[in-house]
Amino acid sequence: MLSYILKRLALTLPTLSLVSIAVFLLIRLIPGDPALVLLGEGADAAALAGLRADLGLDRPLPLQFVSWLQHALRGDLGRSIVSGEPVAGLILQRFGLTAVVVLIAVTAATVIAAIAGLLAAWRRNSVIDLAVVGTATVVLAIPSFWLGLLLLLLFGLKLGWLPFVGYIPFSESALQAMLFLVLPVVTLTITESGVLTRMMRSSSIDVLHLDYVTHARAKGLPERTVLVRHVFPNAFAPTLTLVGLTLGHLLGGIAVIETVFTLPGLGRLMVDSVLARDYPVVQGCLLFTAFVYVLVNLVVDLCYPFFDPRVTAR
Amino acid sequence: MARSAHLAHVLGTLAVSGALALGCVCSQAVTAGTMLRARFKSDIVSTNPGTRRDENTDAVLLHVVEGLVASREDGSPAPMLASRWTVSADGRVYTFTLRPDVVFHNGAPLTAAEVIWSLQRYLKPETRWRCFAEFGEHGIAQVLSITAPDPHTVVIALDRAAPMFLTTLMRADCGGTGILHPDSVDADGQWRAPIGTGPFEMGEWRHNQFIELNRFARYSPLPGARDGNAGGKHALVDHVRFLIIPDSSAARAALIRGSLDVLDNLAASELTGIRGRPDLRLERVPILDCYALLIQTHDPLLSDVRLRKAIALTIDTAGLTKAITWGTGTADNSPIPVASPFYGSVEAPLRQPNLAQARRLLSAAGYDGQAIQLTTSRRDPQMFDAAVVIQAMAAQAGIHLDIDTVDWPAHLSRYTVGTYQLMMQSFSARLDPTLSFGIFIGDKREEPRKVWDTPHSRELLKRTMTSADPAVRQVVFDELTRNFVDEVPAVALFSSSRLSAVRSNVTGYRNWSAAQQRLWGVGLN
Repeated sequence: MLSYILKRLALTLPTLSLVSIAVFLLIRLIPGDPALVLLGEGADAAALAGLRADLGLDRPLPLQFVSWLQHALRGDLGRSIVSGEPVAGLILQRFGLTAVVVLIAVTAATVIAAIAGLLAAWRRNSVIDLAVVGTATVVLAIPSFWLGLLLLLLFGLKLGWLPFVGYIPFSESALQAMLFLVLPVVTLTITESGVLTRMMRSSSIDVLHLDYVTHARAKGLPERTVLVRHVFPNAFAPTLTLVGLTLGHLLGGIAVIETVFTLPGLGRLMVDSVLARDYPVVQGCLLFTAFVYVLVNLVVDLCYPFFDPRVTAR
Repeated sequence: MARSAHLAHVLGTLAVSGALALGCVCSQAVTAGTMLRARFKSDIVSTNPGTRRDENTDAVLLHVVEGLVASREDGSPAPMLASRWTVSADGRVYTFTLRPDVVFHNGAPLTAAEVIWSLQRYLKPETRWRCFAEFGEHGIAQVLSITAPDPHTVVIALDRAAPMFLTTLMRADCGGTGILHPDSVDADGQWRAPIGTGPFEMGEWRHNQFIELNRFARYSPLPGARDGNAGGKHALVDHVRFLIIPDSSAARAALIRGSLDVLDNLAASELTGIRGRPDLRLERVPILDCYALLIQTHDPLLSDVRLRKAIALTIDTAGLTKAITWGTGTADNSPIPVASPFYGSVEAPLRQPNLAQARRLLSAAGYDGQAIQLTTSRRDPQMFDAAVVIQAMAAQAGIHLDIDTVDWPAHLSRYTVGTYQLMMQSFSARLDPTLSFGIFIGDKREEPRKVWDTPHSRELLKRTMTSADPAVRQVVFDELTRNFVDEVPAVALFSSSRLSAVRSNVTGYRNWSAAQQRLWGVGLN
């Protein structure tokens, strides 16, 4: 198991190397000059040249890349062009909030999907199935920003139950922090539960038709035991793959939800940085996101044997 | 059962991870006292006035720092840290007398030493002061010396007469040339935090969440009413908090709910749902900005003035303005905004659309339907909307415009290096028409962003800076306006209004023609 984990981690190195090169080049291929964005319209040419020199942007690209890579290998992702803050600290600070929202929401969405999908498959073509499939389809079709705004207007404005502008950290007030996170978490949960439910239902239908399920029923096992012990674990494995992919891309930032609910998370940092051509932050964020993506999928792969004994971590 | 237990374990681990991550988010103290909450769409850039800046940064820091002079609402200079000033007969030497009752936020009294330190710091290239170039070789004047005959007098000697000197000092994008205490930087000269003399001192800046300012208890306001950035500046609340709310719908909901007191810089289209509410009050102030269609006069096609005139003649400026601004802007074909005291009878007439004449000009210019690229951006929705309307209007005369929508950094880059044919651009409020014309006029070889580089226009622009007499300057501005309309280096379209919504318990809030949020003199009932 350990050697498998180490092998998988070692395989991330070429991936991250390619990502670092691609990210470095791609952000520079986009038109726009960070010095110009920083100094604004009408900036003096000498001031622009001076700032570019300060930021090291006047050096040839290969030199800039080598310098950045050398620092990155030492764990130093540079400083933000806009705020001057260390990029690594900035990313970790923002990632904490994004991770909270994403982990809670994806966990909740997974639980909902597992129950609803299994139930719909078990009662296929019934009213329950119709309701689950119909709801999942509607949820899939709703953009997260629109749903977020609706929830915000209903629970924040009309009913006044929840705060919706700003954010208070947990260490400042745990209760307030939770209240601020309710709407983003609920929005993301609903949004993500649609596709997971469809996947769970589909794989459950496949499993329900397998011989060993018929055999289990023929043995006289209660239906609940058949579903929980024999159908669920096998049906959940493909959903787990999707959970891994979902977690991977959501942990890279939920920019739309963070914007609607004014949460200072990783997604907003990335979007703001792209718009400001804050090269070090964009590079740092994307490298970090790639690493998280690979890591999350490794963890998911390691979880497979828990559900499907045919899969082993080797 | 064992597998169910494993599943529970996995899910439990996810939940615990979430709970652990919750604890990672850092904290700050809760603020007590009366607090006025306003909104910014994006965060400020720094706390260093006039250097790393944008409009939000300027607005925040002008609550914290003050210059020797400040701008009145009509754009004229008024006393601020200097109680009075004199100008030598040759216009080269300015002598400022400092107010004796001013203290910095750290309790130190204001003296000439801090003024000299601040000005000398701004004039160092490494400070990267926004207005550094204005005091360089090609600027309004070079500073020869800054001296202090006594602790309350500062004398600034220039190499030539510069009637624009005070106007430049008080510019918001120059940070109002705010006077700082030397402790604002560390021993190595690195920026720490602004220690100014304003009615508010810098509080907490939580990046991308809020900027908080605290009332400065020892602030001694000037007598009189608030006037632009000048006049009596009274802090009527204990704290001011600028909340960063990027989403406009969320910001409107926050205002209605009462989570926000002031919502400034509303788009006209956002008034729906706010207008008519008894708990809200709407404010509308014409501002000194300018929306214009820039024309690359060095482009092989557009270097022909007949083609430029034809494009201009297709545009129904009044109709476009009404549609784009929902009736809140004012059509204006002159670079001088309607709210300026220099906007007069020469500036007022609008060019009437004339498709027949446009077609004749196109034919004479040999235009045969080539595509002309019109660059725009969605950063300001009005810029994009205007581009779409112009495209439709030009098509009526057979002019083929292709709209190229790019993000703001790309737009800014094209604007700066002049790599466009047509560009929809908005320019922030300029308090003096010289600055408004300065947007367009200049030598393209040195400043490719300039669209109007005829020797005569450059000469006229220089003349606007040689006299402080409004009547003399008006004559020059009028000539510039006539030439601008005739030579069509750009088509000025309209100046907009600043729209703000405030809750009904907010007192004293009013934006002004510089379009900069002022929260001094604003209280809560």
